[in-house]
Amino acid sequence: MTEPIISARGLTKTFWRRSQRKGMLGAMRGLVDRGGTEVTAVDDVSFDIPAGEIVGYIGPNGAGKSTTIKMLTGILVPSSGEVSVAGHTPWEERRQLAQKIGVVFGQRTQLWWDLPLSESLELLRFMYKVPERRFKHNLAEATDLLDLAPFLETPVRQLSLGQRMRGDLAAALLHEPPILYLDEPTIGLDLVAKTRIREFLAELNRSSGVTILLTTHDLADIERLCKRIVVIDHGRIVHDGELERLKARFSSKRQLTLDFDVVPDLASAVLPTGTALFDQEGPRVRIAFDRHERSAPEVLSLMGRFGTIRDMSIDEPAIEDVIQELYAESARATA
Amino acid sequence: MGNIADIRSDIGIALRIAALRLRGQMQYRSSFLMQIFGNFIVNFAEIIVLWSLFQNFEDLGGWTLEEVIFLHGLSMVMFSLGDTVANGVQTVPELIRDGNFDRTLVRPMSSYIQAMVNEVSLRHFGLLGQGLLLLGIGMATVSTEWTVAKLLYMTVVIVSGLALFAALFTIEAILSFWTVNSIEAVNAFTYGGSDLGQYPLHIFRQGMRFLFLWVIPVGFMTYYPSLYFLDKPDPLGLPAFAPFVAPVAAVIFCFVVGKGWTFAIRHYRSTGS
Ligand SMILES: Nc1ncnc2c1ncn2[C@@H]1O[C@H](COP(=O)(O)OP(=O)(O)OP(=O)(O)O)[C@@H](O)[C@H]1O
Ligand SMILES: [Mg+2]
Repeated sequence: MTEPIISARGLTKTFWRRSQRKGMLGAMRGLVDRGGTEVTAVDDVSFDIPAGEIVGYIGPNGAGKSTTIKMLTGILVPSSGEVSVAGHTPWEERRQLAQKIGVVFGQRTQLWWDLPLSESLELLRFMYKVPERRFKHNLAEATDLLDLAPFLETPVRQLSLGQRMRGDLAAALLHEPPILYLDEPTIGLDLVAKTRIREFLAELNRSSGVTILLTTHDLADIERLCKRIVVIDHGRIVHDGELERLKARFSSKRQLTLDFDVVPDLASAVLPTGTALFDQEGPRVRIAFDRHERSAPEVLSLMGRFGTIRDMSIDEPAIEDVIQELYAESARATA
Repeated sequence: MGNIADIRSDIGIALRIAALRLRGQMQYRSSFLMQIFGNFIVNFAEIIVLWSLFQNFEDLGGWTLEEVIFLHGLSMVMFSLGDTVANGVQTVPELIRDGNFDRTLVRPMSSYIQAMVNEVSLRHFGLLGQGLLLLGIGMATVSTEWTVAKLLYMTVVIVSGLALFAALFTIEAILSFWTVNSIEAVNAFTYGGSDLGQYPLHIFRQGMRFLFLWVIPVGFMTYYPSLYFLDKPDPLGLPAFAPFVAPVAAVIFCFVVGKGWTFAIRHYRSTGS
């Protein structure tokens, strides 16, 4: 087992949420007293990410995803816990760490609003001290893969969301960081744009071995990119493992689609126990069943008495349903 | 804060950023010049006030009109330079409120220097022009002999004053890490300090004098050096080297404010969305 490139131990962040006070006196008081409530945004989070992995970091709104990423990038200092990213403690060695990470926040740009994209990239080249030749090479590659050419000379403020996101991705990768953090990189994008970004990230990971930590509310991002997902809720990790295993854990519900040669009359029929009619369109019938109560062949043979079955298929549970169940379970656990 | 090599390289990058952004503004040259001119006119009111003051009084605490004009000029030059340098620093509250300060912390460059060039504008050059004008008139009309030593020290004093005012703007930025409400109280010290620096310090009450010498050392940037430049006695009775502490006071003040900035960064909360 190689050293993980990102590792967090007991990572915790609490915020004081102060009651807002009005006026100047309120502002001055806000500076001195600690009145308010404490919110634990991230609660004792630990994980290891080996180099080259793509990890999906998901959870409902307010779960603590962005807060975690901000600690892993050095933006926030944790309340307690330890972090090592590429051998650095993020908030203590920002300058060194910056050379090794790329960051994209879908909600905000890293670029200069008033400058054309090309000039923003040029400035970043100086900041990151990218040698001229590497820069030219990387820019050409990004321009090609992300199709930046049509808007390289456009001021960032005039770019569409999808264009800006591609610009931000190019900017984050200019210095060839081995680690890429993406906080909702596909938010607000249309399907074509989303697909393009997913393809780009998959290719980046495959060809350059860039480690990617990705948060998203679009589970299609996860299915396309991540083998492993970490699920956080109320600041705590509720699942860490392979997506497939998560599915297995929650996917007791299955769906069997059956094509009969005649339209079976199921409306008044009594179905075998452990199964339920999901819907019916003429001769096509969908039966829902629980894997723990009935096996698929069993359901198939039991349904045979309603007519001759010409074709069948079993549907995997949708990832949306799995995640739904997981959130529901963690809500029950905390209640 | 980093080491010297880092800071030098950061300043180089900051100048590049500033140049690119100014070039963009220059493309609209007429509006650019209008801004500077407007700034010049607005600040002209101060000169009218000063002039009418001397219509009623012979002198101001023993200072002639020419001498007060000199002091005005000196203080305005420092303030406008400090204001220009700290232009971006004054946008830190906005950067924090909008969650855009985050990005300065993930780049291999001092977050402070990045903040400095977050906004680049020469609109305060109107005030600078006016300060230089007053300084010039003052220097030409006061009855003092200008030596090379005085001129050299004046440069040192202006740089020190610039740093002090930039640091004062930085204090506002630092406080905005804790409170989102605008901090007019500090603002009052910054602008008040610049206003107060334009008048002979000894005409103010004891409390004000203490504040603007020993807490915010504006008096050591404008009033005391001017005693030396204008060969005037010190009615406040500080040691004879008092006119020469400007650079030391500036360094100490900036050091303390720098520590405050580092502390603020460690307590940065970002935004929830
Ligand atoms: N700067 C802050 N000050 C106060 N509370 C904060 C701050 N940042 C985050 N929080 C709180 O911490 C919790 C976690 O927020 P966070 O932004 O990490 O959630 P998230 O998982 O990224 O959610 P989303 O999917 O909505 O982006 C929330 O309750 C939020 O209100
Ligand atoms: Mg978030």
